[in-house]
Amino acid sequence: MESLAGTLTFAQSAMPDAFQPTTLAHYLFVSAAMFIIGLIGFLARRNLIIMFLCTELMFQAAGLALIAFSRYYLEHTGQTFVVFVLTVAAAEAALALALVVLLFRTRDSLDADLWDEMKG
Amino acid sequence: MYEFAAPIKLIHPFLLYAACAVGAIGVWLALPRKKVNPQLLGGAIAGFAVGLVLLGLGIGAFQNQPEMDNPPTMLPSIYFYIFAAIALAASLRMITHPRPVYAALYFILTILSSCGLYLILSAEFMAFALVIIYAGAILITYLFVIMLATQAPSEEQPDALSDYDASAREPAIASGVGFVLLALLTTMLFEGVRVLDRRDEANPKGGQLAFQTTAEADVLARLPGKVEKSLRREGLITDEQSIQRNEETGRAMIFPDARTVLVEPSSEEGEPFDLLDWPESLEATNTEMVGFDLLANQPGSIEIAGVILLMAMLGATVLSRRQVEVDEELKAKQAAALPVVHTSAADGGGS
Amino acid sequence: MLTPIAELGVARALGALSVSAPEAASGYAPPVVDMAGPWWIGLIPFLPMLGLLLATACAIGGVKSKLPAWLTVGCLAASFAATVLAFFQLNGLPGGGAQVTVWWEWFGLAWGEGEGQRLSANFGFYMDNLTCLWMLFVTGLATMIALYASEYMSHDVGLGYCRFFAAFNLFVFSMSCLVMGDNLLLLFLGWEGVGLCSYLLIGYFYQKPAAVAAAKKAFIVNRIGDLGLVLGVLLTFVHFGTIEYAELFGSDKLVGYLAAIEAGNVDEVPLIAQMIPVLLMIGAFGKSAQLPLYVWLPDAMEGPTPVSALIHAATMVTAGVYLIARMFPVFLLSEWALPVVAWVGALTALLAATIGMAQFDIKRIMAYSTVSQLGYMFCGLAALTSVGGAFHVLTHAFFKATLFLACGAVMHGFAGQLDLRKLSGLSKVPGWRIVSIAMLVGCLNLAGFPFTAGYFSKDMILAESFITPGMAPIGWILLLTAGLTAYYTFRVFFRVFVGPVHYEPGDEHHGDDHGDDDHAHDGHGDGGFHPHAPGWAINLVLAVLAAASIAAAGLYFLGDKGGWVAGMIKDSTAYYPGFAAFTAEAVAHGGEEHAAHGTFLGMDPHKVMYYVSAVVGFVGIGIAAFLHGPKGLGGLLLGGRRRADVSRADGVAAKMGPIPAMAQGKWFVDEFYQFVVVGPLRFFALVFSLIDRLLVDGLVAMFGWLPRWIGGALRPSQSGVLHGYAVGMAGGVVVLLVILALMVFREPADPDADRRDAELIEFESSRVLDRGGPEWTTDADPVEAGAGADLAAQAAVEPPVMGSGS
Repeated sequence: MESLAGTLTFAQSAMPDAFQPTTLAHYLFVSAAMFIIGLIGFLARRNLIIMFLCTELMFQAAGLALIAFSRYYLEHTGQTFVVFVLTVAAAEAALALALVVLLFRTRDSLDADLWDEMKG
Repeated sequence: MYEFAAPIKLIHPFLLYAACAVGAIGVWLALPRKKVNPQLLGGAIAGFAVGLVLLGLGIGAFQNQPEMDNPPTMLPSIYFYIFAAIALAASLRMITHPRPVYAALYFILTILSSCGLYLILSAEFMAFALVIIYAGAILITYLFVIMLATQAPSEEQPDALSDYDASAREPAIASGVGFVLLALLTTMLFEGVRVLDRRDEANPKGGQLAFQTTAEADVLARLPGKVEKSLRREGLITDEQSIQRNEETGRAMIFPDARTVLVEPSSEEGEPFDLLDWPESLEATNTEMVGFDLLANQPGSIEIAGVILLMAMLGATVLSRRQVEVDEELKAKQAAALPVVHTSAADGGGS
Repeated sequence: MLTPIAELGVARALGALSVSAPEAASGYAPPVVDMAGPWWIGLIPFLPMLGLLLATACAIGGVKSKLPAWLTVGCLAASFAATVLAFFQLNGLPGGGAQVTVWWEWFGLAWGEGEGQRLSANFGFYMDNLTCLWMLFVTGLATMIALYASEYMSHDVGLGYCRFFAAFNLFVFSMSCLVMGDNLLLLFLGWEGVGLCSYLLIGYFYQKPAAVAAAKKAFIVNRIGDLGLVLGVLLTFVHFGTIEYAELFGSDKLVGYLAAIEAGNVDEVPLIAQMIPVLLMIGAFGKSAQLPLYVWLPDAMEGPTPVSALIHAATMVTAGVYLIARMFPVFLLSEWALPVVAWVGALTALLAATIGMAQFDIKRIMAYSTVSQLGYMFCGLAALTSVGGAFHVLTHAFFKATLFLACGAVMHGFAGQLDLRKLSGLSKVPGWRIVSIAMLVGCLNLAGFPFTAGYFSKDMILAESFITPGMAPIGWILLLTAGLTAYYTFRVFFRVFVGPVHYEPGDEHHGDDHGDDDHAHDGHGDGGFHPHAPGWAINLVLAVLAAASIAAAGLYFLGDKGGWVAGMIKDSTAYYPGFAAFTAEAVAHGGEEHAAHGTFLGMDPHKVMYYVSAVVGFVGIGIAAFLHGPKGLGGLLLGGRRRADVSRADGVAAKMGPIPAMAQGKWFVDEFYQFVVVGPLRFFALVFSLIDRLLVDGLVAMFGWLPRWIGGALRPSQSGVLHGYAVGMAGGVVVLLVILALMVFREPADPDADRRDAELIEFESSRVLDRGGPEWTTDADPVEAGAGADLAAQAAVEPPVMGSGS
């Protein structure tokens, strides 16, 4: 058990050399659980804004997995890809929120179930 | 670079599936519904399931401890457990809270605890970037939109929930599908993790001198100022001395493979060059490493990311500028629903 | 009936002839070709092209005057002048000479070095006497008829006027290419070009369904012939390895074949070479309206009359004659080709004449007359008197143009009236004198009245037919036809131009150009119609052409034996020296001494034919006068016609049973074709269209319906609710992951699995390890290299910083 300060110092030094697969598995489980929570939220909630928040949560989970692998393989490319995940998330947020505003203006409601014109 | 040993099993599948089932029930209970709302119970059950899995993982880690005198720690630090617990709890609360504003705030909490995990994983740059971009920018935008796109509250029930916020849609199916997916994902993860042995190729000299990886040394070789500053700090060179530069190309003579550097001679009559080892304290920061990786290895992706952002900006502008035809009846209804501020203020003053 | 002809055959006749007069048969000599002709020869076709561009410009500019006509006349006159210049320039060349002027390379394909592996066709012009003769009357007549048309088409001034003259110019350009082209491909281009112009001009009145139908008919019927022409051209290339006249006529193969035929070894000519003339002949029959492809020409009279005169009487329809004359040496190769040409020509002449006798539309009569006279020309060629054929082409061009233009003037003046039962005594109507005289001149020529041009040219063909071995039946048919021709020609003249004055207007109403004239179309007897007398342009052209028709007779006496045309033709490849000698022999010996020489009832056809054909002509004219002539005329004529629509011929016809009705119905050839050719084709078209619609379209439609049906079945699953799709997507991922998990974790009971896993891992990791950086550091490790100068030099060459990247 290290102290928080110790952990941070350890993090600042380039890369600590001991990162076991078991440790990686913990992070991956947290990442997967976070992703699934986001997925369930997306499937179950009816508020458009919350649905989009859930997609952001899923992005977040993916980012965590990338960072964990980056640490495990001592490759910074994983972290680099989080930058791109952030980019896509930001773009998605911008567009999705613009859409949400547009949809709200049209139907005066955020209920996703109101939008079913695509039915066959 | 890497070698793989035989796969190890971290957790018993039965335990995993049982935990997933329990977690599914917990989340199902926690999702909002109209009449009975056992959210606290659901959260507790879900937390129990997560704890079950983490416990199983911990046991698995101890069981697979390598047989050596001073085995490295197989478990993550306590901070991992703290941050993970906060992150998962906050995200669960985020999807179960009926009010969007609170959901957004819980999402910020999730982000912040994720940043803690990032720090443990020595990804400082990404941690701070996450705070700035997500918690700072994106979530604020969400809050604005929540404010923009919320129905005007009615007079009789100012804080009544909208119907679509108050109840989830098919929570059982959603949590069922979700946790089947989780069980599958984690099965793939734990049912045979390849053990990765990093051979110490990072340091040709071996032993304790393995203070920089090859990639890091490459980055440092492109940062002569940093190397020079480090040499000065360690007192290896004087203030007048500097790193020798190639007369033709102008490049600093830093040799990443041998971790050495050529500096100008300390005195007039001495050797024409001094060949010095890098100090042990010399290291590239995480930001430098990520920046180098980003710009040296992924330049095309950066361009594409830029274009995506630009397009998103244009798209958002176009979408939000579009005039929506709202029928007059609806407008009148909305106007009628608005609270009459001045009269109520007058009434309040009167009473 | 063909058998005796086939047995004898022209080729065998030539062989027999060379045996009988070896010293005279000088044999085939390739023409001397001057490959550097003067450049301005090319102006002859390209001046009409300029006219086309100018007329098009007029159309674009919206010209509403007669300007395009004057531009056309100018261009065509210049073209004619160039032709005359070419004629005089050509006269300076040695006999049999030809000039080739190449303007640019058109096709130059080579796919090997060997013989026949190079297809060369230039935009070049082959100028010899045959070409020159043709071009003289083509450009000359085109100029005159353009002048005539400037007045004739004046009711259509504007866009239609420009369209007419543009097509007119394009026709002259195409005809020039056809005649002057120095290779068969350019001839084909012109051939198709004149076909196109014919189509465009027949369908000039495109609002009229009959005109459209006639245009289509002409085009489609010509396609059949053109197929033969194309195959002939291809076969020529395949066999002789060239399609350029200069090379073809001088090729060793052709010279060798002709020498073999002269030596009597007809069998040395391979069948493929004998096929060439047969195929070319089919093309000629199509374009020159011979049996069985003549049916389009009478219908082509739906076009404006100047077009009928120029294209469908004088020039285009002689393209077939030209083709045979041009390729005459090739036609001599087949022992079948020329006899077939003769029989087809003779039967066409007879058939068309019998139809012409029973028609009432004067333009139709002239059309059948054209078909009939074209048959004469083919017989002339087949009877080995290409001189006679060419002379008849020339005279016919003039007198038939005269006749058509006179008919056109009548049509123009009487509001489209062409029925000879409704017109009578026109020569007595004021202003119609010149037209009547021109018509008389034309009729005399056509009827073969003594000392007219038609008389001499027809005599040459008739006489030659009796002389050439095996052709006597042809001669008799042609003689009979000559009598019929005289009859139907003067039937028209006697009914329309003499007799009691009577006329009814046709159903055509001229446009505004007559608005200021005071002849309203009402009142006065037949509805008060005033005929519209021809103006100066029509009268001038008619006068000039009539004069030319008379003057053409003088050509017969010009120059050496056989006349001016003979002199021209004898200097070209259309003339085979072998039979010149033969003819000379026949004349010298009175025809009796050589068994091979034909006679006319034991007399020399050359001498006796002058009298015989004159008598036949007189008989025909006499019958026409008796049946259709007016009463009186100084007692010279025995006719007693008092009304326009009734004559003695009606009584005669009544006694002849169904024959006149059948002749009037054109022997029902059109109906026969409709039944035998068009009907089955339509039936097959129907069958194929049904197959296409039901089977092919059905298959395609099925592939269209199938997804639609499946989609319809699956449609309810698309609820349109967002969550439904999201759950579906997550469920899909779950299913995929289950499959993947089953594949990955299907634990094999195989003890070797671990070993194989380990091997795989080793392989993978070795692959990873192989990715190393450059090797330079091992050589110049700065720690071992020690000191500076060497290291600095090393660093200068290879910057150490770049050591291990990627």
